Amino acid sequence: MRKQDLTYWLFLMPVLAALVLVVIAPLLLGVYYSFTDWNGIQTKGFVGFDHYKALFQDKRFLDSLWFTIKFSIVSIILINLIGLSLALLVTAKLKTNKALRTIFFMPNLIGGLILGFIWQFIFTKAFAGFGSLVGIESLKGWLSTPNTGFWGLVILMSWQMSGYIMVIYIAYLEGVSSELIEAAEIDGANAFQRFRHIVFPLVAPAFTVSMFLTLSNTFKLYDQNLSLTGGGPYNSTQMVAMEIFNTAFGRYEMAYGQAKAVIFFIIVAVIALLQVYLSKKREVEM
Amino acid sequence: MKSKWRAGLFAVSLGLAGILTGCSSDEWSTSESKPKGEQVSLDIFQFKVEFKDQFEEVAKAYEKEHENVKINITTVGGGEDYGAALRSKFASGNEPAIYNIGGPQDVEDWKDKLADLSDTAAADVALEGTLDGVTVDGEVLGLPYNQEGYGFIYNKNVFAEAGIDPASIVDYASLETAVKELDSKKGELGLEAVFALPGKEKWVTGLHLSNTFLAPEFDNNVLKAFSAKEVEFQYGEAFKKILDLQNDYSVQPTVSLDYSQQVEELFSLQKVAIIQQGNWVYGSIASIDEEFAQNGIGILPIPVEGYEGDRIPVGIPMYWGVNSNADEAVVKEAKEFLDWLYTSETGKETVVSDFNFIPAYEGYDSTKIADPLSKDVYEYSEKGKTIGWTFMGYPTGWGENELGVEIQRYLSDEASWDDVINTTKKVWGSSR
Repeated sequence: MRKQDLTYWLFLMPVLAALVLVVIAPLLLGVYYSFTDWNGIQTKGFVGFDHYKALFQDKRFLDSLWFTIKFSIVSIILINLIGLSLALLVTAKLKTNKALRTIFFMPNLIGGLILGFIWQFIFTKAFAGFGSLVGIESLKGWLSTPNTGFWGLVILMSWQMSGYIMVIYIAYLEGVSSELIEAAEIDGANAFQRFRHIVFPLVAPAFTVSMFLTLSNTFKLYDQNLSLTGGGPYNSTQMVAMEIFNTAFGRYEMAYGQAKAVIFFIIVAVIALLQVYLSKKREVEM
Repeated sequence: MKSKWRAGLFAVSLGLAGILTGCSSDEWSTSESKPKGEQVSLDIFQFKVEFKDQFEEVAKAYEKEHENVKINITTVGGGEDYGAALRSKFASGNEPAIYNIGGPQDVEDWKDKLADLSDTAAADVALEGTLDGVTVDGEVLGLPYNQEGYGFIYNKNVFAEAGIDPASIVDYASLETAVKELDSKKGELGLEAVFALPGKEKWVTGLHLSNTFLAPEFDNNVLKAFSAKEVEFQYGEAFKKILDLQNDYSVQPTVSLDYSQQVEELFSLQKVAIIQQGNWVYGSIASIDEEFAQNGIGILPIPVEGYEGDRIPVGIPMYWGVNSNADEAVVKEAKEFLDWLYTSETGKETVVSDFNFIPAYEGYDSTKIADPLSKDVYEYSEKGKTIGWTFMGYPTGWGENELGVEIQRYLSDEASWDDVINTTKKVWGSSR
């Protein structure tokens, strides 16, 4: 048994070493730095919990956190709704199924930065052009107000991620046995009832996966944020990741930025764990 | 079994062969270069993307003249954050021999890693005042790249068509009249608006525009700004007037207008008549309309009401620093390279004609400056009609992340001008 233990650890070594080197060590180092006054070049001394105390008074950080939460909630709902609808559409008996799946998935293959620039063009140029053509004033000046910036980001994110989430739903939808649906049909259930009482509960595990993916993706969003709005106007569309980056690399308050990052990490970890725990529990009950 | 052994042996011998050849080739190269002195490699980490290709050319030419020197150039800049990249470069342990520093804050941050350059020939001929920002206790820690200047870049053709003499614009009142005149003839001149104010680019508003109105307060001295405990906004009203003028007569919405829209789409295609930018936009304009860039553009001053109306801000955007942690031989070669670049005849020639730099050193032939914007800037600086660049002396991030952001708020009608001044004053005070 002992010998087996040794080989077990030996085989695990490469992965373990890599994990420690690139994940665990930097994380611990980061926590350490957050207690110092590191400016990116040198450390002058320890400051204790000063940074943590300061960041709860930091209006900019709290604003960006609030914006991120709002953005995440709206996007998670929209992405899952659209993803599920698309999945239902392409699992229905249509001739263009395969082509549609590819098309819906495509946005996900484009990098976030490029997508941001493409949508920036659409929002500022195409929207304005269309707006002046048909005379809708509200289509002009997109991304120049906090509201349009917010919805711009939501639209961009939904457009990009829905296709990906759709794939997950498709996998589960195709796993629903046709016998069950036929049985329900014979019992006189209409299309909505079949979906609500048969398909929906069976697809529930997919929600856990999708919610987790969308949550972590929207919460940590950076590149789309950077290229679409750049946080503007007046930092009103700045998300936490970007706020942290700007603290660290804009004002060179590396240690303070690190402290924010630690808090951010804790928040994301707690939400993610909580969410997985709750969804799993619900699945078992069904 | 036997075949496995054979495979193993083969692999080992291959590996050994590789190591051996590696050694031998190493020996070969050192023995070859030995007579010409020790091989020194200079790692240069610089930020100016615009002259990357030309700079690499020059480095090659230098290598040819000095066979013992090998120059490796890394360029990080443009849209990327040079300061952040430099920090990561140092943190990685792979320290460059020559790198760029911006102003007093950088000098203070990097002081321990900057060699004294006061014994270089280039430091002797640097234009008066250009070394102020990088001199600490008599030690010169940086050498200026070049001079740059900004102001209102205007479309000469449009001005001529509208019958406005650019030379008549010497104060705020005359500028306002000209702008109103242009605005009233917008249709026939084919303009979308008079200005294009890029509110999204916080450096245009928060650094450049603000500098015009804050520099007089600091006597045009960057060090004075750097040590100032408070900022007064002595010319705050004049600042507001110019900002309002640009905003009111600009293509809307200004908060989301960016650099490429301003320079490439609107100005280069002659949809607007005036933009607030500097000599660096020449390349972008030339790449769209060579003819227009060569003959159709010039710089107007940004008038500061209550101060001077006919000056443009001219300054040193970046300095070369030499890493004092590097080997002595490397430091020596680095100094020699910089001297060669700015004081030798070949170097001077490239600086002006290939880099299109406005030289920050004495002994240059100014008639060789090719582009009209640089020529204008050089003329202003010759006449002494300049305002200093003090924004390098702002608290780190203050210009863009505080003032620039507040100006965006102001442009969106979310804050009054007094709010802008009060908020940013407070932040300046608390960060000093």
